[in-house]
Amino acid sequence: MSPKKSPADLTGAAAPSPARGYERICESHVEAVRAAIPGAIQDVAWQTDDQVTVTVNIDTLPDVVAFLYYKRDGWLPMMVGNDERSLCGAYAVYYILSMEGQDRGWVVVRGEVDPVTREWPSVTPLVPACVWSEREVRDMFGLVPVGLPDKRRLVLPDDWPDGLYPLRKDAMDYRFRPEPVSDLESYKFLTETHGKETTVMPMGPMHITSDEPGHFRLFVEGETIVDADYRLFYVHRGMEKVAETRLNYDAVTFLADRVCGICGCAHSVAYAEAVERAQHIEVPERAQWIRAICLEVERLHSHLLNIGLVCHYAGFDTGFMQFFRVREKAMDLAEKLTGARKTYGLNVIGGVRRDILKEQRQDTIRIVRELRAEVRELVDVLMTTPNFESRTKGVGRLDPQIARDYSNVGPLVRGSGFDRDVRFVHPFDGYKALDPSRFKAASQASCDVQGRTLVRIQEFYDSLDMIEALLDGMPEGPILTEGWTYTPHVFGIGATEAPRGEDVHWAMVGDNQKCYRWRAKAATYSNWPTLRFMLRGNTVADAALIIGSLDPCYSCTDRVTVVDVHDGATKTITKDQLETYCVDRTHSPLLDD
Amino acid sequence: MSVFLAILQVVIVTLVAPLISGATRLIRAKMHSRKGSDVFQDYRDIAKLMTRQEVRSNTSSFVARVMPVLYFAVMVVLACGIPMITIASPVPLLGDIITVIYLLALSRFFFSLAAVDTSSAYAGRGGLRELIVGVLVEPTMLLALFAAALVAGSTNMGAMGLAVATGAVSAPVATFLAAVAFALACYVELGKVPFDMAEAEQELQEGPLAEYSGPSLALLKLSMSMKQVIVVSWFLAIFFPFGAAATLNFGTFLLGIVAWCLKVAVAFAVCAVVENSVMRTRYKLLGTQTWAIFGVSVLSFAFLIVGV
Repeated sequence: MSPKKSPADLTGAAAPSPARGYERICESHVEAVRAAIPGAIQDVAWQTDDQVTVTVNIDTLPDVVAFLYYKRDGWLPMMVGNDERSLCGAYAVYYILSMEGQDRGWVVVRGEVDPVTREWPSVTPLVPACVWSEREVRDMFGLVPVGLPDKRRLVLPDDWPDGLYPLRKDAMDYRFRPEPVSDLESYKFLTETHGKETTVMPMGPMHITSDEPGHFRLFVEGETIVDADYRLFYVHRGMEKVAETRLNYDAVTFLADRVCGICGCAHSVAYAEAVERAQHIEVPERAQWIRAICLEVERLHSHLLNIGLVCHYAGFDTGFMQFFRVREKAMDLAEKLTGARKTYGLNVIGGVRRDILKEQRQDTIRIVRELRAEVRELVDVLMTTPNFESRTKGVGRLDPQIARDYSNVGPLVRGSGFDRDVRFVHPFDGYKALDPSRFKAASQASCDVQGRTLVRIQEFYDSLDMIEALLDGMPEGPILTEGWTYTPHVFGIGATEAPRGEDVHWAMVGDNQKCYRWRAKAATYSNWPTLRFMLRGNTVADAALIIGSLDPCYSCTDRVTVVDVHDGATKTITKDQLETYCVDRTHSPLLDD
Repeated sequence: MSVFLAILQVVIVTLVAPLISGATRLIRAKMHSRKGSDVFQDYRDIAKLMTRQEVRSNTSSFVARVMPVLYFAVMVVLACGIPMITIASPVPLLGDIITVIYLLALSRFFFSLAAVDTSSAYAGRGGLRELIVGVLVEPTMLLALFAAALVAGSTNMGAMGLAVATGAVSAPVATFLAAVAFALACYVELGKVPFDMAEAEQELQEGPLAEYSGPSLALLKLSMSMKQVIVVSWFLAIFFPFGAAATLNFGTFLLGIVAWCLKVAVAFAVCAVVENSVMRTRYKLLGTQTWAIFGVSVLSFAFLIVGV
């Protein structure tokens, strides 16, 4: 039981290599663009081996992105806006494409936007996956995507003043809170009902099945949903602005943890990778393995949560609670490995803060075994629960073509027949060492809630196997690289497979030890825009289940109630008390009186 | 004497109903692997709600205001008429199965009307669902009860219960099938998962109940737990009257109370286990499941005609 040698399933995937006849990864894509759209490319630069940035003539930008997307098997996680007036005299937009067919790698299409007209041609009419990113850039930078049909705000609230664009470098201090300009919600919900008469069912801003505000409008005819629209970003926290102005680049890993209440580690690894790749930092192998293990632990508790929620939304609370009972073990495991019940506070630029020692290793192996046995039992129960089949089969269908157009991620896209998974498409960290014949992306072709649930169940078991395989083959050595050279104004992409899908971070550090621009894309960001297609044609009764099958993110804690189970006394600690205690670390509110 | 018995039944049902719903909650908590609150929690909830302020939608009319009281009144009337301790109904006028079905329909009608009245999307939808459940389940109830009534030769619950208790039924198989169909229909009527269509928490956020608060909500909660006890007693009175007093004296009276308590406890324990082991029926498919129950009642009718 003390394997030092590398077992059979750690043979490792082949390192990515250039396409035949080319010298560099992704060069084939660049040459294809050159041939298809002559005169578009102005400049080509490789940030790392597998990341190339192509600066194009802004007028040809939509054609180049659409060409790479549909003709070269590109998927588009996000686009990034950047205020580069102080660097090159213009704003810049970066369309990030993950090339997943031949010659895998990352191609970034960059266009410069004139700082006076502030307009650039929208790509959304050709590639729908850009819609949210372009709306966000319009909100945050005041750049206008010409031809984008949706003229509504996305991120900024309705009461935000016009003409104040928070992410422009000269716009505002991060502490500035503008006075609200309106008391009314002016967001227009759009609908395509094709002439049918519908009644409106509001879901939210607060709804019983979600702990976070999100405002859905269901346009229903009887029980059937004809169309749906939604307004999110009620809890936009301005993290990117804070990161750029308040924190140094190394502290942003801890802020990135807090992007999500569940998959924080995935964000923090993605951010760290973005900076490490841009700065060409070699992360020690042991640290890479530890990161992969913690990402898998995160997947364990996240998937158990979602499988439990499927039960809850279908009215089977017993299943929900039982999955939660078992999930506690995954949280214990996270606590053993990182010191926190969620896998927080692990990453720094260049490595990790905590090693996995012998005792933690043994505990991990034990807990993994227990989890496997207990979850297998519960999954059996779930599969044989009356009505499981009828509630989930054929419900919330996501058409594969829509998934392709919108670049969905995670179990959602894998439930619609694709096998997109960053861990296998662009192997990073410890995943590079996993045997590709043993570990594959889980995929189901049924396109419905059931398919997504089955994908999550399969991934849960895979994660357990991966943790064991990674622990078995963990290399010795340091866990942190120090003493690298800091280069300002270079950027990189970091991508991880979070439990809900692909997290992509784009980071450029500045000349002041801070991020010049950091863009974090959470997995769910790619999935929300297709929700309306999944809701159409289903019933109100299935709405919560469908929204849940997307596994949307929740994060909120502003106060804590402590109940003493022995004498029944309860005590509520206010947010202020909690904050004061977090800062001062004296006078614990629990020990008073 | 029978007036005294009727009043006693009302008192017992009113007092015991929160205990039963509390016990159901405890079983639920145990199956969830939670600690759960004790069986008296529902009394505390009702007491708390009684002291709370009442808030009403300003678009609602008197219907929404009257409904909780009316619902409670219907349950009180039903509690008088359904035999619990004795085989015969304490108030023979109210002991007819058709009266019971229509009284239940009356409460259901006002429940739905009040739900629509509040003009909340969720409450309204819950009200409509409640009506559809009624439309789907009432024919089954009627058919099963008619089969049993034909066997016993009367639509009075006392006479029907006596026939079953003494074994004086001409078609035992038909009676058994009628009992099965009626039991299933009663389960749907209880409004528990998988058939809690009107209040489906995750779908409709408690439906019509969401529009009530304070004393109205307390009264409604109490009445709804009373309804569950009444529906279960209704089934027991007709198809499982064993232990109930045929003639009234002190001994049979005590035995009748103990037997009723035991039967109700067992019935609710079974219901609690069932409701916590299933997923809610997909609303669209509700009709196909109630058809199966209807099929059983038709079968019992067919057996009755054949005479077995």
